[in-house]
Amino acid sequence: MERRKLKDICLTCISLIALVVLWVIVSNSKPDFFPTPQATWERFLKMAETPISKTTIIGHILISLKRVLTALVLAVASGIGIGLIMGWSKKMNAVLGPILTALRPIPPIAWIPLVILWFGVGEFSKVLLVFIGAFFPVVLNTATGVSMVDPMYLNVGRVYNANTFQMLCHVVMPAALPAIMAGVKIALSSGWMVVVAAEMIASKSGLGFLITRGNESYDVALVLCGMILIGLVGAILSAVFTLMERWLCPWMEKKNG
Amino acid sequence: MGEEVKVRVENLTKCFGDLRVLDKVSFQIKKGEFVCIVGPTGCGKTTFLRLLTKLTEPTSGEIYIDGEPADPQKHNISFVFQEPSAFPWLTAEENIEYGLKVKKRPAREIKAQSDKIIGLLGLEKFRKAYPHEMSVSMEQRVVIGRAFAMNPDLLLMDEPYGQMDIKMRYFLEDEVIKLWKATGSTVLFITHNLEEAVYLAEKILILSNKPARVKDEVVVELPRPRDIADEKFVEIRKKITEEIKWW
Repeated sequence: MERRKLKDICLTCISLIALVVLWVIVSNSKPDFFPTPQATWERFLKMAETPISKTTIIGHILISLKRVLTALVLAVASGIGIGLIMGWSKKMNAVLGPILTALRPIPPIAWIPLVILWFGVGEFSKVLLVFIGAFFPVVLNTATGVSMVDPMYLNVGRVYNANTFQMLCHVVMPAALPAIMAGVKIALSSGWMVVVAAEMIASKSGLGFLITRGNESYDVALVLCGMILIGLVGAILSAVFTLMERWLCPWMEKKNG
Repeated sequence: MGEEVKVRVENLTKCFGDLRVLDKVSFQIKKGEFVCIVGPTGCGKTTFLRLLTKLTEPTSGEIYIDGEPADPQKHNISFVFQEPSAFPWLTAEENIEYGLKVKKRPAREIKAQSDKIIGLLGLEKFRKAYPHEMSVSMEQRVVIGRAFAMNPDLLLMDEPYGQMDIKMRYFLEDEVIKLWKATGSTVLFITHNLEEAVYLAEKILILSNKPARVKDEVVVELPRPRDIADEKFVEIRKKITEEIKWW
């Protein structure tokens, strides 16, 4: 068991080293278009010392995170609520289902012109765009999860004479929680992608803005730094979420493992 | 009769369209009695149980508990399904407490009752275990504990051991007798295993083929623990087998 783990770690290290080696080889042939790892690292250190657009690098990360998390909290709260109603009541599903099905395929980025036209380029617009990206996976996964709760569990609730509130809170919600969590996970990654896109188009702060700034000033190393940070923060968010999921759904641990 | 009647079923009839599944079924169960229902496969046993839980409404007839029409709001009716139905998101202890929490009993009473049931089932070490960490038979034991914890007016069990192997069945049958004696519940147990019926019941109701009626009532007065090889035991079992075969 231990040996297998060690082997896996070795393989991971080899693949990461291979990626950096590839980066070195490619970047050395055209350093102007593709900065070397060393140049990127130096740009990163410089960025850490001197603020860009009056904001430190940590500041940019926090601003992006704040936008995503604000929108995510709103999307999760409203998405679970509406999804629960849709999954529980066939009538409500008939009312809301077609609208959501029609709106869902529209990429959140396609909303950018309308959102800017209606609400300007302020914070609200960015949070709204992320909300659009995060809301649909939550609401649809919740509705599906609720409508697919094993009827046996509902019968148990009925036999013990649970009222509607007790049914929803103590039977339907926990039974649907795995599906809901999967929806929130998709929402998180989708929201993170949308925030970068929104910041690239109209912003003076955030990780997406770093990329645009790099692009405008032919600072390719800055573009790369922005991209790497987006990847890193996204990965950390996803890892934190997995920990949270384990904490919220301890009964799923074995199934997941 | 002298002893208090807990459940009285009068002329219970259920039709699905033209199909008559139950035909004027009548019987009585005394308080604290353990009754088994046997009958040919597909004779409407499950429909019968659903009527008693009030999950389905009868076409005609009445069910009385303590002399009043059965009402899930007022009476405590528990049900053990054929498949293990423990909630996967609750631990063994929380599953056992579920019904009591729905009824909003005082916390101290819930704790005392779940401790008692866990003690009777010998599940102390598995209090905090989730169903996925248990075997199927242990999960079913938790479900049965959940049903007994309610101190139900009527406990309905629909072939709860249908999926267990013989050895496990003997063990679980003894356990259900132990719970029944400790809680004084009134139990209605459906099975297609006649040996199980004779082993468990004080009274056996034999249902006929569809449309089902109560064909016969057999009182089993053997001392416990019962011996399945005992002459009288075998005699009763054979008698019931004949009655079902007669069809």
